[in-house]
Amino acid sequence: MRNLILTAMLCSTASLMIPMQAAHAAGDIEAGEIKANTCTGCHGIPGYNNVYPTYKVPKIGGQNYEYLIVALKSYRADERDHPTMSLQAQSLSDQDIEDISAYFASFGDE
Amino acid sequence: MIKNLFIAALLLALPFTAAAKGDAAAGKTKAQVCEACHGQDGKSVDPTYPNLAGQHDDYLQKALADYRSGRRKNAIMSGMAAPLTDQDIKDLAAWYSSQDGLKDLSIR
Repeated sequence: MRNLILTAMLCSTASLMIPMQAAHAAGDIEAGEIKANTCTGCHGIPGYNNVYPTYKVPKIGGQNYEYLIVALKSYRADERDHPTMSLQAQSLSDQDIEDISAYFASFGDE
Repeated sequence: MIKNLFIAALLLALPFTAAAKGDAAAGKTKAQVCEACHGQDGKSVDPTYPNLAGQHDDYLQKALADYRSGRRKNAIMSGMAAPLTDQDIKDLAAWYSSQDGLKDLSIR
């Protein structure tokens, strides 16, 4: 009986936690839009090229929130090799990264 | 003079030939392994994996080539990219870039 109550308690706690984790983003989209001003200088110009080597700057509008956070933190930690992106990311706090990522991810919503 | 012009033209064309387009239909067939994480049409099944649908062709080629060479490190993607030929990479990039999905930031 006691086990049943415990199980029920665990289940109800778990069901409370799941929607919180699935909720869109911890970041603030509006704050992100302001913080992302610099980003649009490259990522906001359709067809804009990275140079040496030459390839188009990736599209990030509608990219997944969690992936964007991983990407920005990897650049910040120099785990991804792109000097410009590392420099940009090194000026960002965790909160900045979450806000900016929420803004980019929100492009997929409409 | 003409020979020099010809060489100059060839050199100018180099960066474009390097990013030549692959075959999207062939890429779709080759993308069956990718679908498990990146979704059937390039929209990922798990938000920690990137969406690929609509991404630029040459950026996708570079990402796969970097995973293959080890320049970009990821436990899953290194293994996935290792057996790919240059043609595979071009075909896969052609397939995912031809899908509708990711957007430039200015288009809202």
